[in-house]
Amino acid sequence: MERDIPTYSLLLLIVFVMIPFTIAYIYQLGLKKDIIWSTIRGTLQLFLIGLILTYLFDLPPLVGIPIMLSVMILVATFHARKKGKELPYIFITILVGLIGVEIIVLSMWLGFGMISFTPEEVIPMSGMVIGNSMVAMGLALERLKSEFEQNRGKLLAALSLGATPKHAAHMSIKKTLNASLIPNIDQLKTIGLVQLPGMMTGLILGGVAPIIAIKYQLVISISIFSSVSLSAIFISMVMYRFFFNKQMQLLNLQDIKKNG
Amino acid sequence: MNEVIFQFNQVNRLVLKDITFTLREEDRLIIFGSSGAGKSTLLHLFNRMDDPDYGEVLFHNKRIEQYDIPQLRRSVGLVLQQPHLFPDTVLDNLKFGPSMFDDWEEGRAERLMNYVNLPIDYINKSVDELSGGEKQRVSLARTLANKPDVLLLDEPTSALDDRNIEAIEEDLIKLIEHNRLTVVMITHSMDQAKRIGTKGLYIEEGQVIEYGDLNQLLENPNTDQLKQFLHKS
Repeated sequence: MERDIPTYSLLLLIVFVMIPFTIAYIYQLGLKKDIIWSTIRGTLQLFLIGLILTYLFDLPPLVGIPIMLSVMILVATFHARKKGKELPYIFITILVGLIGVEIIVLSMWLGFGMISFTPEEVIPMSGMVIGNSMVAMGLALERLKSEFEQNRGKLLAALSLGATPKHAAHMSIKKTLNASLIPNIDQLKTIGLVQLPGMMTGLILGGVAPIIAIKYQLVISISIFSSVSLSAIFISMVMYRFFFNKQMQLLNLQDIKKNG
Repeated sequence: MNEVIFQFNQVNRLVLKDITFTLREEDRLIIFGSSGAGKSTLLHLFNRMDDPDYGEVLFHNKRIEQYDIPQLRRSVGLVLQQPHLFPDTVLDNLKFGPSMFDDWEEGRAERLMNYVNLPIDYINKSVDELSGGEKQRVSLARTLANKPDVLLLDEPTSALDDRNIEAIEEDLIKLIEHNRLTVVMITHSMDQAKRIGTKGLYIEEGQVIEYGDLNQLLENPNTDQLKQFLHKS
């Protein structure tokens, strides 16, 4: 069964947009422009992706999939790097991290026969993994910076007691990982109870039996969980070093780039 | 005369200009001057928490860069203005340094708690339960746990009230004498300086204005600058 939404119904989505717009107008939130712009931008982006996907799905998988994955990873890297622009080698680190995560996840999916190497399966599922990993890296970077900022005194104390940067940063890294993983653990705990996850919803709407939808959802949820953990650990373990110089001295955030 | 332990030769760093002096074993040097004069920057050069832009620092007649950094910081201990204790228990804090060097034995905790005049059963207390004065004592004990030869003190009592200051000072003097420590201390209180120090180094705007025997400096200042400074404080 293939359902479609009639175009006139889709246009009526404008009614939904009017709700936040009206609220923004009444309370003068200064968000009117943002609301209009993000709606237009989102709509155009989605239609564009729809067109591209239609085209890519027609290409042989060995051509279409690598192209799409590269684009997704590059866009995700450009986006996540904003969270750590004070840090050296941020672009290449995120890029390597995302490629690594994608390779690991994809080889497990394919190796264990969970999905087949077709654009219809690889691309949306990889998109979710890459997107979530991107967010996880961004969050971990922000958290790492604020941990180093807030715990400057403790870090200085640790160094002055003879700790190596790795040892001194241990606590901050631990907190960073904790903060990055807890939302995912919570999400996994309440999965399906609070909201039906996006992928499952999509499959059910597309006419797939709920029990099959759930299997896919399980694969993706657990894959996201592990790739998010990997991303957070990877970015924290690579990046904490730049907060110190070779002389095991703690640097200020504004001096890090000069040093790296 | 005691052996030279530290020698600063024309050291420059940030505001510091051509800092030159020597520190001998068991000296207790007080660094004083207006805020922004470069006191903390100078203190951090002793254990390489910072490095000079120009000039050299000699530790036991060898360039300080030649020492392994963790080992240097172990023997030149620093106590910060605020305690900055690590999470969990007092014992976790005391063991932090020694455990990195595989140098911890039963009984050391008791000795350390004794030095800083805290009850031994405090070692299993969470650091969150301690008062400000107790925290600073633990911070001092944590540095002493590394068995340093030189103790750097960055206004260790500035965050405490008078009663606590006096008590900690007494314990500090006792343990400095008992362990024959060489001390470099920054303080704003000239009374405290007199009670603890033997030598003085007065700096303003990054330059050494006067350096020598502390009593001499405080009683017969040579420069108008120091006279004015002492008059104000």
